[in-house]
Order: sequence, then structure tokens, then C-alpha cells
Amino acid sequence: MEFLSALLNGFSSGGTYAIIAIGYTMVYGIAKMLNFAHGDIIMVGGYAMFVSLMLLNQPLLALAFAILACVLLGITVERLAYKPLRGASSLAVLITAIGVSSLLQSLAQIIFGAAPKMPTRFMINGTVVLGSFRINYSTLVTLAVTVVIMAVLTVFVKYTKTGRAMVAVSEDRGAAQLMGINTNRIIAVTFAIGSALAAVAAYLMLMKAPTLSSTLGAMPGIKAFTAAVIGGIGSIPGAMLGGVLLGVIESLALSVPKLAPFTDAIEFAVLVVILLVKPAGLLGKARREKV
Amino acid sequence: MKKLLALLLAVLMIAGTCIAFSSCKKSEDTIKIGLSGPLTGSAAVYGKGVANAAQMAVDEINANGGLNGIKLELKVMDDVNDPTKVATNYAALVDWGMQVSLGTVTTQPALEFKNLSKNDNIFFMTPSASADAVRAESNGYQMCFADKKQGVAAANYVNGLGLTKIGVFYQSDIDYSQGIFTEFKANLNDTITVVEASFTEQTKADFTTQVSSLKDCEFIFMPIYYSEASLFMTQAKAEAGIKTYYGCDGLDGLESVLDLSTIPQAITMLTHFKSDADNAKTFVANYTAKYGTDTLNQFGASAYDCVYAIVGALKAAIADGKTVDANTSASDMCEILKGQLNGGYTYSGAVTGTGEVKWTSEGFVNKEALVHVLKEAAAN
Repeated sequence: MEFLSALLNGFSSGGTYAIIAIGYTMVYGIAKMLNFAHGDIIMVGGYAMFVSLMLLNQPLLALAFAILACVLLGITVERLAYKPLRGASSLAVLITAIGVSSLLQSLAQIIFGAAPKMPTRFMINGTVVLGSFRINYSTLVTLAVTVVIMAVLTVFVKYTKTGRAMVAVSEDRGAAQLMGINTNRIIAVTFAIGSALAAVAAYLMLMKAPTLSSTLGAMPGIKAFTAAVIGGIGSIPGAMLGGVLLGVIESLALSVPKLAPFTDAIEFAVLVVILLVKPAGLLGKARREKV
Repeated sequence: MKKLLALLLAVLMIAGTCIAFSSCKKSEDTIKIGLSGPLTGSAAVYGKGVANAAQMAVDEINANGGLNGIKLELKVMDDVNDPTKVATNYAALVDWGMQVSLGTVTTQPALEFKNLSKNDNIFFMTPSASADAVRAESNGYQMCFADKKQGVAAANYVNGLGLTKIGVFYQSDIDYSQGIFTEFKANLNDTITVVEASFTEQTKADFTTQVSSLKDCEFIFMPIYYSEASLFMTQAKAEAGIKTYYGCDGLDGLESVLDLSTIPQAITMLTHFKSDADNAKTFVANYTAKYGTDTLNQFGASAYDCVYAIVGALKAAIADGKTVDANTSASDMCEILKGQLNGGYTYSGAVTGTGEVKWTSEGFVNKEALVHVLKEAAAN
């Protein structure tokens, strides 16, 4: 029973990682950059939700507001910080992303203070009882939301014009441009989708664990980045798989008292082993680099 | 017109030099106290509490004539709770002319700070870095309890409760929590079964798994910081099997983030600072009036005591015939202060403990631990 509930918790936290990891992996696949500020978009989403909850007192309206705020922020950051560096070396873009991350964290701390906020209104309490087995509602909601998002995203990428254009840009940006695809618009759309997912992730996180500080997104951001690498960065199904895998490993390790202190080590050991066996990640495409 | 402009420029230049020199002169005549703490980042609430309270103590002492007429000056550097930033901060403080220090606010940076300050023989008294190792060098003192003492005191308290099974929830990758937990376990009666659950810096966003491991423990000991504790308590609200939480000084600040009335369990803690204690009332009122309640915590109270204790010890040394002024070297200052603290100096009027603070001959702080009932269990 302990094992089963740890497994289920793992799927649920893995689902959240997966949603964040999709944001990383899409931006990497299409803009070829590591957007290290992605985690902080989650944090901004959390605060946007917190503020709108205070004003409107409606958790779902707050979520809608946060998605809007995150999309605007994502597009603005892309336009102001990353677009001017489109031709620059990837290191310059990486450093800029880290800079944006620090900027967002510091701004949040200046505006909202250093002490964490606890918006318990987002919490979904209550459990489903099946004999001696109990499942939190929040776990079920997270699982459902994750599955829906994954399905919608898969359909979007495969069957819509914009989705297919995204695939084309990620395959070969130059050729896509020659085919008449507006790459700047596609990159902006990618940032918008990633940021919207970040806001959803913020909601899922606050629903289970209502603690909001300027570093809310930093740690899940790194975890999700790891998940994206495990799954093969650039691949959307890979990000989903990596996220769920990481969540399950983490939850199982935490549920064993003697292993719990080594959770991080176990997670990253798995990453190392996977990269040794499959250097491009589980579902990543091996690409030959021209030197 | 040109002449007027030239005259104006000349006047400005003279004024500028005057200001430059006067500010120079002013800082020459002070006793310089340095401090490194997290003013930004996730531990900023502690660092700000310390910086504010230390500044408040310095201002109060200066307003009352300073150290026998010599004013104090405080400089705080931000280390973001990152040990790698401490060396830079330390160098900047030494360049500035630091004579005596409050060390660092948090434990990991303190371990770095003690190594650096040992070489220059600079005295420091940390308000809140509680690792036993901080005291390993003869120039380092604490105003807070060392982890060892907290672990032992907590175990003694639990041994007296007559329980057969308890839960422990700790953070395995910080010295503070791990240190208390180790001492606690070593001193706990063998008859008590311990259910362990832990987390790390990387896994502190969600405690669903740990709540389900500990849900059948009536009594849970949590030697962790308040933000993680508040999250655990919030996530475990519905667990009727849990009756009491018990923590150490890290739980201080819990009320600032959590509405305790929403938690059905009782919450008790071992601490050296109670904001409603008689000896803390004036400090709390003054602090709140100046900086609000957001950063009011035991870290700040402890820093306030550090400044007063250092000044008190220096005054006692002057009374003993030692010379202390703005030109005393840091190393001489260190020897003078060590002589006082190891020689039985008592600091009274403290806002932490029960008002009297001493140091043992090994240099560990010696004051009363308080059991603070933050909240009774909810009825029914």
C-alpha cells in the first residue's frame, strides 16, 4: 500500500514536471536555446494567481488571469531579451536567460517581500478512500490535467497548421523560412504556449503545496530541465516520459527513509546512466554534429 | 557670466571636498562591526531580520553615547546564504576596517567565515549559525544554542512524555536539521520507535509522500525551518492521526506565513526567543514600529543581543583597565573579548533566553531554553 501510494504521488508530481519540461523542450527544439528563466515564469504565474485571488476570490478565474499574465510575460521576454540575440552565440543567449531569471526573482522579492505566502485557498482537500487505500483529490486532478494537456498538445502539433510549422522550424529553421514560414511568429507562439503551461504548472503546485516565494520555480525548473534531458531535449513525448519517470523515482526514493537523503543523487544517477546508454535521451534523435 | 560659473564650480568643489573629508573623518572615529547575511534569496527573511535588529541596536547604543563616547558603525554584506560568496564579503569587510563581527546569519556560510576569520584573529559572535563546528575556532562565539544542545534538550523533553512511537521529519542536506536530528536520536530512549521521513533542498516543494509516511504518528518532531514546516502542516491538515508537532528554533516565524488557527494539531517549540516574553516586549515594540512584523524573528532578536553583548563585554574590559577605541586592531579586540567571555562575563538584559546570557569555559552559550506553546490542539 505504501508503495502504491508513493507510486501514485510520483505520477502526480511527475505530471507537473512533465508540463514544465514541455516548456523547456519546445523552446529548445524551436529556438535552439535553453530558456533558464522558464522556472521563474512559473513563479510569476504563482504570484499573478495570488494577486488575482485576492481581488476576485475565484481560483479558476485566477488561473485564467495567470495564464494571460504568463503568456504576455513570455512573449515580452522573448521579444526584448532573446530576439535581439537570434544570431548570437548560444552562450550569450544562455547568459541572458540566466539574467532574466535573476531579474524576475529579484523583482518578485522586492514587490512581495522575502517571506513566503501561503495561499491555502488553492488547496484541494479531501481524499478518495478505497478500502485501506487513500488517494488525494489533488493527485487525481493533477493526473487528469496532465493527460488532457498532453493529448491536446499532441493533436495541436500533429494536425494544425501552426503545430506543423513548429515541427518544420525545429527540423530546419532556414528551410522552413524559405518555405514561407514566419519563424519569428512561430518562436513567439512557442514561448506563449510554454508560458501558458508554466501558469498551469504553478496552479498544480499551489493546489498540492500552497507555499509561494520568489524561488518557487527555481527548483522544479531544474528538475523539469533534467526531465527534458532524460526524455531527449527537443522531443515533446520525451519531455512527458522524462517528467513522469523523474517524478516516480523521486517519490519512491522519498518514501524509503534510508534512501530519502539520497533522492537527488539517485535521480541524477539515473540521468547519467540514461545518457551513457542513449546520449540523446530516451526519445531524442541522435544528430551528427558537423565540426 | 563665465566668472560666475567658475565661482560656482569652485564653491561646489570646496563643498565636495568638505563633505568627502568630513565623511572620511566620521568613519575613522567609529568601532566597525561587520556582518554577512542573506539579504536576498530564500533565506532573506532571516538576513533582513538580523540586519534590521543589529542596526537598531547600533542606533540605540549610539544615541546613548556609544561605547564610552565612541560611536559604532555597522556594515552588512549580502551572501544570499551561499558559502561561496562569503570570501568576497569577508575581504570587503576587512578592507573597510572591520574590528569585530557578527559573523554570518546562516550555518553554511558561517563554516566558511570561521576559517577566514581564524587567520586574521577577528572576533565574531553569530546570532544564529548554530552548527557545533562554528565554535571550533577560539574566535567564534554564538548567541543561539548550538545544534547539539537543541538536539539533547529536545530528546530530554520527548523522553519525558511517555510515548512509544514518534515521527521525525527533517532536512537531510543542511547541517542545522541533520545535526539536531543526529543528537536527538542518540539521546532518545531506546523504547521509543522512530518513524523517519526527510527531504532535501531539491525536494522541498511538495511533501505528499512524507505526509503519507508519517500520518500514523501522534507526535512529530520537526527540527526544520518554518517555511517547510508550514507546508508540511498545511498538507497534513486532514490527518487525524497526527496530534502534536514539536520543533526547534527554526520554527520561529511560523505565524508570519501560516494562520495557525487553520491547523488542527498542537504546535510546540524549543526556542530562545518568545515575542511575548517580558524581557522581549520593548524590543518587539520598537522593532515592529520601525520595520513591521514581516521580518521579526528570533534571528533578529539574537542579533540585537549580539551587539549589546559585544558592547557590554567591551565596556567591562575598559572598566578592567583595557584600552578599546576606534584604533584598536581587530586581533587585539578579539583577545580582549575572548578574555571577557571566557572569564565569566554575564550579559544581562537580553531579549533572548530569560534575560541572562553567559558562555561556558568551552565558549558555548549558556542560557535558558524556553518551551513555547505556539498553539494548543483544536477542541474535539
